[in-house]
Amino acid sequence: MNILLSLIVSLFCGVCEDVRQDVVYITDSGHAEFTSRVPLHTFTGSSDHLHGLIDFDENLVDFYLDLSTLKSGIGRRDRDIYRTLNVDDHPFAEFTGSLSSSFDINSSEIQQVAVRGEFTIHGVTREITIEGTLQKQGGELHLTAEWILDLEDYDIEPPGILFYRVDEEQELRIEAILNSSSRE
Amino acid sequence: MNVCKFANFGLTAIFLLFVLFVESMNAQLPRERADADPPVDRLFWASSGIGISTVESVSARNLNSTVKHTFGLVDGGIDRFFGLDDGANTRLGLDYGFHDRFSMGIGRMTFNKLVDIHAKYNILRQTVSGSKPVELAVKTSVGINTFPGTGRDFSERLNYFATVMIARRMGSFSLQATPMYAYFNHVSGNNEKQLFGLGIVAGLELNDRFSLGAEYLPVIGDKNPGTYDTAAITLNIDTGGHIFQLFFTSSQWHNESFIMANNRDRFWEGKFRFGFNIHRVFGF
Repeated sequence: MNILLSLIVSLFCGVCEDVRQDVVYITDSGHAEFTSRVPLHTFTGSSDHLHGLIDFDENLVDFYLDLSTLKSGIGRRDRDIYRTLNVDDHPFAEFTGSLSSSFDINSSEIQQVAVRGEFTIHGVTREITIEGTLQKQGGELHLTAEWILDLEDYDIEPPGILFYRVDEEQELRIEAILNSSSRE
Repeated sequence: MNVCKFANFGLTAIFLLFVLFVESMNAQLPRERADADPPVDRLFWASSGIGISTVESVSARNLNSTVKHTFGLVDGGIDRFFGLDDGANTRLGLDYGFHDRFSMGIGRMTFNKLVDIHAKYNILRQTVSGSKPVELAVKTSVGINTFPGTGRDFSERLNYFATVMIARRMGSFSLQATPMYAYFNHVSGNNEKQLFGLGIVAGLELNDRFSLGAEYLPVIGDKNPGTYDTAAITLNIDTGGHIFQLFFTSSQWHNESFIMANNRDRFWEGKFRFGFNIHRVFGF
């Protein structure tokens, strides 16, 4: 009975594998950008080390960024940013979720999509929905997304002194070309 | 028999859940640091302290501007407004980072209308993992006395300086040993043409905004007549855009060569002066 049950489970798993596309979309050089505002001044930091994976079969969207790769153009300010985000203890900003809207994989049009899942930064995880675009071009997926991150939601104290403080709302933008890769 | 069947079913269910769990875990990207062995952050708050250069480097494509002032002796009392009436030795400086580890700079101070041109290279960065336990940097400098009417030719106006900076951060405390050498093409009286020193720089970070610092620069070997080892203490304030250093020091000079050559005041006997430095970095 036990053997029979295990056999059925194994066959079930095998059948599931067969109907998959066996393709995932991956990048390790996506672009991530934030825009911060302080009184009378705006600055931008960015990184080209955004790692991401989109798996339509599993309906999995998984991205992460090593926050120590963010550069704002001023080394001292970068170090302040890393300290503010406590990069030593929480080195990654991560999103893991799934597409909550439909996406036609056979279309090459730019399509509006939404993903819902858990976003983690500074060791704090929140459930969020992010809207963006996806476009399939050959074996590539072009992704763009923008959203607002409220520092308070993630227990991040805006750096500054007295009234001269970084705005709590940070504009985040990501852009990536994900290449198709066979599932291993 | 029923118990046995139930156990079998349970085991199979656990196995199935385990397979699905492992598959789900594998589906996510493994999290990997871009730099698996990152350097230690901010051993000191500025690329130069009160008088001694630090291992802190100017980042690539950044311009570090500094304004340094030291006033008269505090023991002048209220009549001299604790030294502020005695005029300041002011140094303006610019340092540009050509690379995260290499910078060049120029500065000019009031005394001797001294212009200094210098270069600094960070050979070793201390790492968080401890794989590199210390930070190591070298600095060389040429100083030009541009004071008019001294009758000296150009080569007589030059002095040279070289130093090795070895530092380590331990928690919120940083310590730097700074052996140094200065050579003057022309000296007056019985002054030494070459001087050796061993600068010690210490820093204690109180929080993200405030830190304390101390410097001690003894001349090793022969000294110029009437000169003493230099000591200084400082409060550093990071305002986000600027680093302010408020300090008391025995020497009114702003670079190591002339601190070693000219300090005639003893800190421990109350012969110190107030000064402040401002550092600001611009990105290009």
